[in-house]
Amino acid sequence: MRRRLRIPDLGGARAVILHRPHANVTALARQLEAVGLDVECHWPELPVSVRAADYLFLDVDTAYDEQFPWAPGEAPLPTVALIGSEAPGRIEWLMNFGVDAQLLKPVGDNGVYSALLIARSTFDARIGLAGEIDNLRRRLGQRQTVVQAVALLAARGKTENEAYEQLRGLAMAWRVSFEAAADRIVASVRGDREDEDHG
Amino acid sequence: MGRASREGALKAVEQVNGDATLDLVFRPVERDPGGDIDAYAPLCEDILKSSGARHVVGCTTSWSRKEVIPSLERLGGVLWYPTPYEGFECSDRVVYAHACPNQHLLPLLDHSFSTYGRRLYLTGSNYIWGWEMNRLAREVSAQVGGDVLGERYVPIGSTDIARLVDEIAALKPDFVLNQLIGPSQYAFLETMAALRARDPAFGEGRCPVLSCNMTEAELGVIGAAAEGVISAGPWFRGLTPALSGNEGREDFGSSFEAAAHASVMMLARLLSGTPDAETLSLPDLLALPGASAVGISARTHHVTLPVTIAQVRDGAFAPIKTYEPIAGDPYLTRPRGTLQPLLRVVP
Repeated sequence: MRRRLRIPDLGGARAVILHRPHANVTALARQLEAVGLDVECHWPELPVSVRAADYLFLDVDTAYDEQFPWAPGEAPLPTVALIGSEAPGRIEWLMNFGVDAQLLKPVGDNGVYSALLIARSTFDARIGLAGEIDNLRRRLGQRQTVVQAVALLAARGKTENEAYEQLRGLAMAWRVSFEAAADRIVASVRGDREDEDHG
Repeated sequence: MGRASREGALKAVEQVNGDATLDLVFRPVERDPGGDIDAYAPLCEDILKSSGARHVVGCTTSWSRKEVIPSLERLGGVLWYPTPYEGFECSDRVVYAHACPNQHLLPLLDHSFSTYGRRLYLTGSNYIWGWEMNRLAREVSAQVGGDVLGERYVPIGSTDIARLVDEIAALKPDFVLNQLIGPSQYAFLETMAALRARDPAFGEGRCPVLSCNMTEAELGVIGAAAEGVISAGPWFRGLTPALSGNEGREDFGSSFEAAAHASVMMLARLLSGTPDAETLSLPDLLALPGASAVGISARTHHVTLPVTIAQVRDGAFAPIKTYEPIAGDPYLTRPRGTLQPLLRVVP
């Protein structure tokens, strides 16, 4: 299916530029303001409040990890690289840092609006994927619980397939994930056993 | 540029040169790319290199405008672009002197969804104007619970539109948003007129065709097939006043002519009274004291324009709704207020 671009609300959005004072910054700020964003420039330190901004533009020519209050690859907002030098070492740094869009220097008359749309879309996709991967990892970790739950249900005289279907039915009835249902069954049986031990 | 735009620009040159209160005269340098997309940039460069001219009034399509912008950047020129376009641009070297979507498409859609219904059909010529205008129409339609029944494009210049009209005849939308240009639009309106004559479902007042760029300049060529078309624009013949920059004049054939005239007049007002103003860049000109009164936003380089929705009746545009001027918002990032009906002083 074709993806429809969700156009972000850019009017009054906050853009932070990390770049020394320069004609490129002037050109970039002009374009951002024309689109309707509020712009602030910082150099060489980023304030902690950058985390609450909507976009970060950074100068790849001079940037280094310690300038950013987060680990490489974990920027909490959409980022756009301003690329001057195309030396492979700088590109390597930017790949590790993990930007969402790029603009080549010198910054001219256009390019910022599309960079904003691409950065927002890429960032949203990145955050969405990270959440999905976390979820899948957690479910993968619960495989053992599922196996235990199916074994417990099967021990009550069902085939393995019937036990599996029963577990699916319970998950639907309880409105929880398959893994969460398995967790409940294993926990309840364990609870019964503990009661017996005490009894 | 088109004939109507050229006429407006030349009228303004004559007016400026005869105006003793302005301390300048204009000498027009003309080049005609003849609609050949690859001729615009070389001819624009030719003007900037071979004459002292720094300000170019011209282009009709977005495609040609995008072609000349790199030349303007390289050679330090300014383009005054006097025709409607699809927005999403803010070149530091261009003044956008006609309407963008918050000044044409959005008011037209508001009117259409509340008057004709929510089932619409989209069509256009196969280039940026039609694509982007129809994308916006889809977005607006989704917001108001509209239903886009179909969307079809025709190559620029093609008059092969029978299939398009067959589809409209079968789908019976409440209205058709038409972003076709030139011969394609003429052929489309002819074929729609034939459909209206044979199918009562498309009789008078039903399934109107909308346009965001049709003006009086094309009514002669289209003839009777234009009857009933509803268009949005900053000005139509007979409306008072015309555009900011036209002050005191309404003798224009269309808003294309009025906007080109206004462009040259606004330029004259920016240049007049400042020594060596002809050497200033556009941002510097717009930063001069008094520049804000000229009507061009220093932030977006777009102009403030009235909005009129009008219908072709008996070969002329009759206004349906007229609104107070609003600022151009090329990226649609400003809050959209309610348009205020234009109040006219009754003499």
